[in-house]
Amino acid sequence: MSEIKVLIVDDEVEFAATLAERLELRDIVAETVNNGKDALSTILVRPPDVVILDLKMPDLSGLEVLHGIKAHDPSIEVIMLTGHGSTSSGIEGMERGAFDYIMKPIDLDLLLEKINQAYEQRITHKEQS
Amino acid sequence: MNVFSRWLARFLPEDQYGIDDVSGINKRYKKFRTNLLTTMLTISLLPAIITAAIGYFQYRDLLQTTEREQLLWNLEGAQKTMQALINELHSSIEFIVREDRCDEILDQDTLDGMLIRLKLKYNGFVDLGVIDSRGIQLTYSGPYKLKGYNYRVQEWFEHVRGRGFYISNVFLGYRNIPHFVIAVSKKRPDSEDHWVLRATINADTLQEFISTINTKASDDIFLVSRTGKLQTSSRYFGNAMEYCPICETSSHLHEIFKLERGMGDVLQVSAPLENTPWMLVLVKEKYIHQAAWFSFRKRLLLIFLGCSATCLVISYSLANMLTNRIRETDEKRQSLLTEAEHSNKLASIGRLAAGVAHEINNPLAIIDQKSGLMQDLLGLTEEFKYKEKFYTSIAGIQNSVGRCKAITHRLLGFARRMDVILEEIKLNELIQEVLNFLEKEAMYNRIRMELGFQADLPTIYCDRGQLQQIFLNIINNAIDAIGKDGLIAISTRLQGNDVLVRIKDSGPGIPPNILQHIFDPFFTTKAPGKGTGLGLSITYGLVKKLGGEITVSSEVGKGATFEIRLPVKPDKSAERDNNERNQSINR
Repeated sequence: MSEIKVLIVDDEVEFAATLAERLELRDIVAETVNNGKDALSTILVRPPDVVILDLKMPDLSGLEVLHGIKAHDPSIEVIMLTGHGSTSSGIEGMERGAFDYIMKPIDLDLLLEKINQAYEQRITHKEQS
Repeated sequence: MNVFSRWLARFLPEDQYGIDDVSGINKRYKKFRTNLLTTMLTISLLPAIITAAIGYFQYRDLLQTTEREQLLWNLEGAQKTMQALINELHSSIEFIVREDRCDEILDQDTLDGMLIRLKLKYNGFVDLGVIDSRGIQLTYSGPYKLKGYNYRVQEWFEHVRGRGFYISNVFLGYRNIPHFVIAVSKKRPDSEDHWVLRATINADTLQEFISTINTKASDDIFLVSRTGKLQTSSRYFGNAMEYCPICETSSHLHEIFKLERGMGDVLQVSAPLENTPWMLVLVKEKYIHQAAWFSFRKRLLLIFLGCSATCLVISYSLANMLTNRIRETDEKRQSLLTEAEHSNKLASIGRLAAGVAHEINNPLAIIDQKSGLMQDLLGLTEEFKYKEKFYTSIAGIQNSVGRCKAITHRLLGFARRMDVILEEIKLNELIQEVLNFLEKEAMYNRIRMELGFQADLPTIYCDRGQLQQIFLNIINNAIDAIGKDGLIAISTRLQGNDVLVRIKDSGPGIPPNILQHIFDPFFTTKAPGKGTGLGLSITYGLVKKLGGEITVSSEVGKGATFEIRLPVKPDKSAERDNNERNQSINR
């Protein structure tokens, strides 16, 4: 099994970096960007398997980035990060094609599980197409 | 118009917003009711009173006029009758003194015979006398010896010689019997000398005759001299020959006197009798038609009282009804305002809480990740002196982060509409679970739980987590309120389509001023740091969200009772939310 490539999009630099480091420790290739534009340009150069996307960002909102990602490659799975204590925006994300959502502060084990599931779904998706 | 409406507005009870004093509110509505009642009664009764008064006086005037006219008519009749009597007496005398009889009646026997004939006709004739122009009585027929008596100096003698006819007032004379005199004077055919026939008649004749006049129409009828001396007896003013001051009438033909006499008014009419010094007087007591007047007054009073009673009853019930209606509306508005204020407060608190929670959430996530990374790295590092301590420290950090996370989630949950996940719930079991959780604390504080669960309570569709939160909050509060040694009674029962949960504690109770703020956010009576003041506020929000109601009643010293009413089936909005959520999850 090849390594899972994950792109973490979050305006909180420290959070993104630390999460990336922890995922690296768990043999996941993680890259971080801190805004929506960078995220959209990165997927063109180094397409990830899974994007972990914060909903609330200053320039492009999470939902807009999600839209951009899905327009470019629908097989890239996206896990939304919500910090609102509310599931509604997460659900909205899922309605627009996100794989799942997870609330901040995150439970790493839960996130890993979801990344794995998302990756599996991407593989299936790729095989089908 | 403005002034008018402002004046009208004063009737309405003042806005009670912000007034907690119950007796003050009661007083205000009582005043309003009194004002309303007074106004309505005035408006309805005033015209009735005016109409009744107009009718009363108008009818009385009408009756008086009729009565007066009738009495005058009677007077006229009586006057004619009396006049006829006088005329007859006059003509009887006149018959005797025909010119040719002058010498004839100078004869004693003839005169006696005439007296006898007159007496046959009128018993009242006492004597007859013939007097010559010098005033000397030439012949006399009667019980007294008056032959030769000289009348020349007497006033009446001059009078009769002047006019030819004279009727005197009734007088006693030296016989001491009331009588009057009729005298007729004639010229002798052969000379210029006058001679006079004088007849004395007992006043009884007048009395008898006047008594024969039908007095039904009047209460008193009598003759009176122009100087006010009674000629016949009067029922009211005394016997004949007595003086009657009110009867001293002038020469007016019809004079109406109205005077206060005993019980009622008296109407008196009088008319002079021609060729006599007398006035005929009719008196009627209670001059108004009694029967008609009484029945009219009775009917008027009955109708008026009937109207008043109807007005009173209608006005009273209407005023009561209106007052109650206005009061209900006011109270409803009041409670809506309070509720709106409450939810407003909740909403703004919620926004604040959400803001704070969200801001804290991000650094919290970083702390979480950093400590997680430390833990990860520690796992990769070989054994060193303080490794275990590092582990426990990291665990401590993560534990604290967990607690903070719980708080922020709770705050966010308070602020935002958390999803309601409906499932079948056995409420009794759920409460039991909550109690199990609190058991230790209750036992420690020697608080007994008394459960009165309805065994066949239907399962309800509700959110388990939120229900747990609700009961946890309230029972926890009860435990806090009791402190040590006490009882918490929890009962459930089905009431209509709702399930009613009653939680009663034996705590110190809640004073009214605190009771009304009990669901306000951040309102707490606990010591600073002990309570957030959010518990009951969140509970209130949760119960509302689940389509239920929560009420509290308490009296100081008698504990507090919370009643939570939950629908067996949730309302449609909750169901719809649930469905939407399920659909989105299934996608």
